[in-house]
Amino acid sequence: MAEITLEKVVKKYGAVGVVHGIDLSIAHQEFVVLVGPSGCGKSTTLRMIAGLEDITGGLVKIGGQVVNDLPPRKRNISMVFQNYALYPHMNVRDNLGFGLKIAGQSPAEITKRVNEAADILGLAPLLDRTPAELSGGQRQRVAMGRAIVRNPDAFLFDEPLSNLDAKLRGQMRAEIKKLHQKVKTTVVYVTHDQVEAMTLADRIVVMKDGHIEQVGTPMEVFNHPLSTFVATFIGSPPMNLLPGLIEGSTVRLADGTGVPVPDRLKQFVRDGMAVQLGIRPDDISPVGHGLSQDGPGAEVALTVDLAEPLGMESLIYTRLAGQEVQAKLYGPRIVQPGEVLTFRLALDRAHLFDAATGKSVRVQ
Amino acid sequence: MIRALTTRRTEMAPFLLLLPAIATMLFVVALPLVFSLWTSLTPYKLTKPDTLYDFIWFRNYTRIFGDWDFWEAFLRTIAFLTVAINLEFALGLGIALLINKITWGQRTLRTIMMFPMMFSPILVGFQFKFLFNDHIGVVNNALQSLGLTDQAIPWLVDANLAMFSITLAEVWMSTSVFAILLLAGLFAMPRDPLEAARVDGCNPWQVFRHITLPFLMPFAYIAMAIRSLDVARAYDLVAVMTDGGPAGRTELLWTLIARTGYDEAKMGQANAMAYISTILSVLFTWHFYRKLVAARRYMGGAE
Amino acid sequence: MTVSVESRASKQAKKVALWLATFLLMLVMCVPGLWVVLSAFRPNREILAKPPVWVPEELSLVNFGKIFGFGAEQVGIPVGSYFTNSLIIALTSTVMALIIGVAGGYSFARYRFRFKGGIFLGLMLFRAVPGIALSLPVFMMWSRLGLVDTKLGLIIVYVSLNVPFTIWLIDGFFRQIPQALSEAAQVDGCTRWQAFWKIEFPLAKSGIAAAGVFAFLTSWNEFALASQLTRSTDSKTLPVGLLDFTAQFTIDWAGMCAMAVIIIIPALILTFIVQKHLIAGLTFGGVKG
Repeated sequence: MAEITLEKVVKKYGAVGVVHGIDLSIAHQEFVVLVGPSGCGKSTTLRMIAGLEDITGGLVKIGGQVVNDLPPRKRNISMVFQNYALYPHMNVRDNLGFGLKIAGQSPAEITKRVNEAADILGLAPLLDRTPAELSGGQRQRVAMGRAIVRNPDAFLFDEPLSNLDAKLRGQMRAEIKKLHQKVKTTVVYVTHDQVEAMTLADRIVVMKDGHIEQVGTPMEVFNHPLSTFVATFIGSPPMNLLPGLIEGSTVRLADGTGVPVPDRLKQFVRDGMAVQLGIRPDDISPVGHGLSQDGPGAEVALTVDLAEPLGMESLIYTRLAGQEVQAKLYGPRIVQPGEVLTFRLALDRAHLFDAATGKSVRVQ
Repeated sequence: MIRALTTRRTEMAPFLLLLPAIATMLFVVALPLVFSLWTSLTPYKLTKPDTLYDFIWFRNYTRIFGDWDFWEAFLRTIAFLTVAINLEFALGLGIALLINKITWGQRTLRTIMMFPMMFSPILVGFQFKFLFNDHIGVVNNALQSLGLTDQAIPWLVDANLAMFSITLAEVWMSTSVFAILLLAGLFAMPRDPLEAARVDGCNPWQVFRHITLPFLMPFAYIAMAIRSLDVARAYDLVAVMTDGGPAGRTELLWTLIARTGYDEAKMGQANAMAYISTILSVLFTWHFYRKLVAARRYMGGAE
Repeated sequence: MTVSVESRASKQAKKVALWLATFLLMLVMCVPGLWVVLSAFRPNREILAKPPVWVPEELSLVNFGKIFGFGAEQVGIPVGSYFTNSLIIALTSTVMALIIGVAGGYSFARYRFRFKGGIFLGLMLFRAVPGIALSLPVFMMWSRLGLVDTKLGLIIVYVSLNVPFTIWLIDGFFRQIPQALSEAAQVDGCTRWQAFWKIEFPLAKSGIAAAGVFAFLTSWNEFALASQLTRSTDSKTLPVGLLDFTAQFTIDWAGMCAMAVIIIIPALILTFIVQKHLIAGLTFGGVKG
């Protein structure tokens, strides 16, 4: 069983703290993605799990066993590095088999496992090439092959797709997902790209400044963000945030416009509370051109500043309550700058955050 | 328990790896330097071994500083080094710029440039001694057959000409260090700022002065640091070419030290002079090493 | 029309001037050495001829034979001994300097630790001590230890002479190898020690070889310390031998040229092999090719 547990894990370089006490439980065979902006501590956390960084405080357990003092080779994990870290002086076959050779496996066993991994990843025709002779995507696959060959308890991925171009990134994402379905090993995956997080993860861990902001399935994190940071980090284009004040059951926005407080949130707000109203562009659409027209909504007339046609939908820039806001129009209609349209705000998908703490009003 | 042990062992690792290096340097350099200092405070002569334990404190030094021969050698050495190193830098820069413009056969040119660096200074000295010999040297031979002079020019005998010949030999030997490193710098220089400067209206001289030269300075400092480590190689040159003569006309600090210590057996005094030359060398190196560290950071080598 | 013709002509002129300058430069670089090398293969009378004989009329290995003690005119310079001494001393000190240098260079390249800058500076400053200045106390110490006129005595000194620069170069070479490779190997099952031997060391091999060549040449060419720490053919090296016989009143120029050639050849060969790596190491990989 390869669950990974982090208990109050801390990392400091001298006096500088980089990770400030994280608690996380990763279940056996789960695909967990650590996501967050540069410097949030996600790579450091991964490297502490791997044993490449000393753990300043707290415990890391793999399969129930505390691994704080174990060197990487005793933790039975594999890692795929950002720059692949393929051994340049060995060919693909030797790169794949290196770990097994060190472990003292018989040549027959090594050949068998190397060929298996090569088959899974389509590397068979490349076995005699050296890393210098491979393309970026091929190198990436060799790195993954090297990881699966050893049958570890967990795979650790450190931003493996950052060095690939957009199209290749999409292909490799799908390959990684298929691999996980096939090989079913626990995965801890680090990235700064929220699209990768959303598409690959069983659960997402959003990190910021050495803390965990929120843990949840992609849909949980997308639909029920617990802070403005998570709300704006996950989802593209990012959620619109509008400052306002609670007046009874209305959110009074900066220019006086009133938006009804969504029913489900009424119990969490008080009169006079300063809040931020959060609503995704997907949830603001011209009437008749939105995702759904049922459920509680509020209608408001807005002037279009700019429209970016994307084919079957357009991204619209407009102003609400004196602030620039993005909205989406679904359908082939072309919209001109200056047009005034009635927009519908889907209230059941709107969020309220405490203006001072940034936290969702549901978490008080 | 286990945790503490492993952490401490990892912390000790770099020091353990450096132990042989530090031990060697302490035994072969630091210890002798201490010994040298001691000796410089005594009137030690190899012929009178017990004088090693008489302490005359700084009398050797005051005697040296009052000795005109010492000052002559000292100043001559300083002048020699100043002229030589400045020439090496200027010529090295010129050569680097020249080779940079050649598009064909650069690797061969660069290899040829490295040869003078790899010659033993003794060899270089011998080579020029051979060429500049007044009777059989090829230089005089050629000059005479071409009719440019009718006398044998005393390249290695006349005071000024001898210093000139020695300086020439030194420059010939060490210009390559600058040339190679500055050339490396020119290779590494990004083209965009140069083009931007030209578009902005700079003439070639301005482009050189404001864009190229600042970029090259780190490489120049690396060269200076390397040069400063081996400044005393010139001793080998002089020892072969003139050995400080004739009659002390080309006496440099180092030949004076060798003469005083080994020929005249005045070890105490020689060590005092040696200490002065050591302090100078060390200061010189330290100065350029600091510039080198700055250059290293600039080049992106992390601490 | 006129403008473009002018600029093409001036471009041509510039190119010619460039090539001329380069040619002259190469001439200045090579001719002195070439003249010595050439003279080594010519009999004494040709060398001493006035006016100078530019094109050799007779080439032979007579001079080489002479100095080794063969042939009709035996000069009796124990060049053979000098050569073996130089070789043994240079090789041994190089190997030891490399071992110490790889350890030290690795520690600088891979670890962060206190006093790092200070230790590096210290090593460099120790190297800055002039050879002749160091030779005085070392001579006194070595005579008490019985190490004067021994190969071992010189080897020990040369190791310390080479350690700083070797560490500097090897530090640079190790930095060019991404640390992720060692980490990947450790994740793959290696201890740090294994990762070093199987991954980092093979990749740094050519750089280490270059540092070795540099150390070898430093020892091969060294004079100031050798001249004082050696007394007889038990330990005298080639540079000392060259000076000894050049300082004589009547010099056998041809023979000396032959000896010079013997000293030069290893240097030339090794330089050619190593030049690219040396520059990369000196500039910490800041330059490619």
